[in-house]
Amino acid sequence: MTLSAYERIVGPSAITQLYRLGKRLKGRRIVHVNSTREGGGVAEILDWMVPLMCEVGLNASWEVIRGTEEFFEVTKNIHNGLQGRPVDISHRDWKIFQDVNEANMDRLRPILKSADIVVVHDPQPAFLLPLCEGRKGKWIWRGHIDISRPFRPVWKVLRTMLEKYDGSIFSMCEFAQSLPHTQFIVTPSIDPLSPKNRDLEPAECETVRSRFGLDPDRPLLVQISRFDRFKDPVGVIQAYRLVRKVLPIQLVLAGGSATDDPEGKAVLEDVLEAAGDDPDVHVLDLPPTAHETINALQRLADIILQKSTREGFGLTVTEGMWKGKPVIGGDTGGIRLQVVNHYTGFLVNTPEGAAHRIRYLLHHRERIGEMGKDAREFVRENFLLTRHLREYLTLILALRGDVTARILEV
Amino acid sequence: MTPFAVKDCALLVRMSGLPPAINLRELRERVAACSENVLFHHFCESLLRPAFDHPDYRNDFAVWAKWYLSDRVLAERLGILDPYTVKSLEELRAITLDIFDERLSEVVAIPSAAPGDEFYFLEATTVTFDTGERVNSPKELGAAIRKMTNGSIFFHFLEARRRIPVGMDDFSAWLKGEEKKNAKYIRALGSIDFYFHSLSNLKEEIIAALAKVERKR
Repeated sequence: MTLSAYERIVGPSAITQLYRLGKRLKGRRIVHVNSTREGGGVAEILDWMVPLMCEVGLNASWEVIRGTEEFFEVTKNIHNGLQGRPVDISHRDWKIFQDVNEANMDRLRPILKSADIVVVHDPQPAFLLPLCEGRKGKWIWRGHIDISRPFRPVWKVLRTMLEKYDGSIFSMCEFAQSLPHTQFIVTPSIDPLSPKNRDLEPAECETVRSRFGLDPDRPLLVQISRFDRFKDPVGVIQAYRLVRKVLPIQLVLAGGSATDDPEGKAVLEDVLEAAGDDPDVHVLDLPPTAHETINALQRLADIILQKSTREGFGLTVTEGMWKGKPVIGGDTGGIRLQVVNHYTGFLVNTPEGAAHRIRYLLHHRERIGEMGKDAREFVRENFLLTRHLREYLTLILALRGDVTARILEV
Repeated sequence: MTPFAVKDCALLVRMSGLPPAINLRELRERVAACSENVLFHHFCESLLRPAFDHPDYRNDFAVWAKWYLSDRVLAERLGILDPYTVKSLEELRAITLDIFDERLSEVVAIPSAAPGDEFYFLEATTVTFDTGERVNSPKELGAAIRKMTNGSIFFHFLEARRRIPVGMDDFSAWLKGEEKKNAKYIRALGSIDFYFHSLSNLKEEIIAALAKVERKR
């Protein structure tokens, strides 16, 4: 997809601005590094960001580190620890973490050493920087997860790696930590023209409805997210059960697992057990390529749920809002930035709170439409990829000068 | 008349390094000690940050007082502050501190936020660049503004007021090059109550004000 395709959504001036910024960065070599090509929000962002950076003139590329099963088990533990769960990471585990980073460094050294800017996404590849002697460019660590209250032993080790970076980026100021470099705030975004978000024909949605045996005459609640305990899928089933006592609703819990998340299978089993044999709870384990299916499910929903107890940003919230749906979301992380309580949805803390808001909306159906409309416009103004790309380009430009200056003329 | 050089800008937001505030007393302490850039950011630059279209108040302190301190009296007093009507950011700081002190003297318990709802102090670098576009006469200004980004509007109409000549937007400063001839345009721009507009609304207001002058010519 080229930038001009977005003009009808965000207007011509926003696109012109991106070309202008890109012109000043022509030929700059920027490398993004993460740990998975498919599944999860980071891969989705890089999937559009890298080609669009190239389109505006940068020489951008995306490298994915390779790891063993053992490595991804360790990094999942690191991920959980950073999100506040007490985890046990032994010296051996940290050694596995470092060894895999070293093996990747051997492979990626020529690319990373010569890059003008390297953006390392999340903790998995964070140890690459200390291994890159004689680097030419500036390195930025981009934390996508909620590390507002990390489990200290994990944070203390990771911090020794991160403090060597030239800067870091967080989705929200609540996630920023004490680090000896500038910490930038950049919220993520969605691609409105991607298979997951593009407009669908009604027939395409109906095909998905039939495929999963969903009743068109009864309200549908949908939560799309990886099978991860922090997304609280079991809490969603509890909320559904509270409402089901009085209203004939249906629930879809759809997700998949990223290749860097070995815990997904165990969580899925818990969810299936909680769902039991209720024919109106549809637990769908979808492949990472099921973008159109997810798109259709979000459009078929009356209400989108994202009852996370911890959340980095919550791109599934943005996606639901873009489809003109109100979102009932956990009062945490980036969900707070998107769900403006009583305007674009509701923030809740418990299954009971979610159940209450579901009942409210189903009894005030007109509010579903009103909130959904506001939600879509809120996303258009703030959470589409054009704004996100602009902030990255601005950051790269600023890194050439004094990033702490009030005004920087480039 | 020298052509007007259209610039564009984008904001790069960063943590200020100040610890977050959990209650009104801490907010007061931090506002007393923060840099002018931090103050400017929370009063003026929120327009370029993700924010809901219809916030109750335009500055971050008032919004926080309402939503997280649950102090509507304080929110109302802060919410009406217009940073562009004061001579300097130091004066704005003094007025803000006065409002905090007044409220602290009125309340029995210090208004506090819940853990996780702290106020974070931010600041920003405004990265500016020349678009290469030029406006040759006041007659062209309205059409040129229609094509401008929100960044250009912010930079020329709002951010400009921090630069010399202080308190004046760039369009008016340019029109003053031939002040007598352009008096009607300058008056039209000066009549806009701009602080409470979103950038898109502000753009429309400026275009409408200039169009009105053109119609009367």
